[in-house]
Amino acid sequence: MKPAPAWRRHVGWLWLSLMSFTALILLITYETRWVHPEIHAYFSQSGNLTGQQLATRSRGYLQESLGLLLEGADEPAHRERALFQLELAYSLFDIGLYRREYACTEPNLARLDRLGQRLQAGEAPTPTELNRSLLAPIGCLTEIEMGQLDRRGLATNQFVEETRRHQTLVLLGSLLIYVLGIVFWWMHERQRRSAERATRESLKWMSRAMLDPLTGVGNRSALNEEIVQREGRPVGLLLIDIDFFKQYNDALGHPDGDRLLRRLAMLIDESLAGQARLYRMGGDEFAALLDCHEDATLAGDCQRLTEQLRAASLDHPAHPHSDHVTLSIGAARFIAGEAGLALGYAAADQALYRVKGEGRDGWEVARVEAAAGNAGA
Amino acid sequence: MLSSCHGGFRLFVGLCAGATLMLSAAALASPDHLVLKQGEQARSLAIDDLRERADQHFRFFDPYEAEEVEVRGLVFRELLEAEYGEVPQRLTFTAWDDYEVTLGGWDDPNWILVTHQNGEALGLRDRGPLRLVERDYGDRDPENLRNFNDWVWMIRSIEAVP
Repeated sequence: MKPAPAWRRHVGWLWLSLMSFTALILLITYETRWVHPEIHAYFSQSGNLTGQQLATRSRGYLQESLGLLLEGADEPAHRERALFQLELAYSLFDIGLYRREYACTEPNLARLDRLGQRLQAGEAPTPTELNRSLLAPIGCLTEIEMGQLDRRGLATNQFVEETRRHQTLVLLGSLLIYVLGIVFWWMHERQRRSAERATRESLKWMSRAMLDPLTGVGNRSALNEEIVQREGRPVGLLLIDIDFFKQYNDALGHPDGDRLLRRLAMLIDESLAGQARLYRMGGDEFAALLDCHEDATLAGDCQRLTEQLRAASLDHPAHPHSDHVTLSIGAARFIAGEAGLALGYAAADQALYRVKGEGRDGWEVARVEAAAGNAGA
Repeated sequence: MLSSCHGGFRLFVGLCAGATLMLSAAALASPDHLVLKQGEQARSLAIDDLRERADQHFRFFDPYEAEEVEVRGLVFRELLEAEYGEVPQRLTFTAWDDYEVTLGGWDDPNWILVTHQNGEALGLRDRGPLRLVERDYGDRDPENLRNFNDWVWMIRSIEAVP
């Protein structure tokens, strides 16, 4: 089974973190938006059916009825209006909850019923009868009001307690989600940094793998990489071979041979005015790659390099034909690309061998003709 | 003279008060009409007619009665459509006990204008003659009457709020 790609693990933690923070926002939104109407429904005291206690309203109508009847029970209009108030009072008194919770409700509703029947029949109750018929229900309603206030108080305390518990849970939940979000984010950040570090390391190693450790210039792989980078552009390639380098090493030892390699790398770079990329292709062979549109320019570069080497007069005690270090140079121009490099490299190499065959210490620019990657085509 | 004037004034005030009381009592004591208002216009519907038009029968647990009751009534939305030509956005209800409330959301067949309960026409003492209830109140707790604050009792008039 293949392990999950790094980016997926990376996104996983980020995703979890974002989900946590989203959950936190949703929770807060829910709490602020949906809990408020519940509080309103519980504690709003006005503007709705039960805002004022039904018992209170009922008691008000009974008191009005009592007032009217005490003022003039003999008057039919008073009685009729009192009866109307009595009916309103009855309707607000005759509530299932009151019947169930308050024992005084049923008998007092019956009293009101009897009084209503008498008023409807046109009878005028005496003050004593009114006291008996209305004061007792008023007293019952007062008892209900007090009882309901107590119940509301209890409900309020319960609600407050539940709200407090709920808020504690929400707070703990929010903290947990928040901490989880932070942890997930930290994991994501840790993974991201780790991935970045790994990438940097890889690049460093890749870079090291492309360098010649002795001279610090590129190696053959770096040349191939550079050709890919310059794909399609006209380039010139110089293959530079140190004449009788083995003899140099044999005479002066490998440490001096290594120093010569480093010195020559610097000299080639200076001669080509820093315009070329240098590569060490093997023991005593360098390559230089540079943008080049004409063979004449390439020839000029070869000539300048040869002259500067002569000017440098680097001693070579084991050289059979000279006292100084000499170079054999083969060069070719081509269009950068895989095929172009193969052709160009082969042409430059052949030119190099021709120079060597002709006694070394010289240069030749090969003419790359009838080839797919020919820069002159 | 002054005393006689006072006596005459008292008699006049007494007569006026008596007449007013008789008239208002007559009007209030006979809640047999529902008044529908829209802007400047007002018309009344006989409660008896509404009782005859009541074609919805069902049983449900009435939280205020704290028991299951059988009710009969009209789908309120259909009544509004028939009387106003559409369902007004908001309505102001005035009850016989002078309770007044403005509410919206009436384009809902769940609201029933109840005219009868347990086979009897609703009277004032039954929180009638017209009562607005929800046929299905879902999972709201019937023990908490505050869950049913939108119900309207003893409806005397309905006014479409522009």
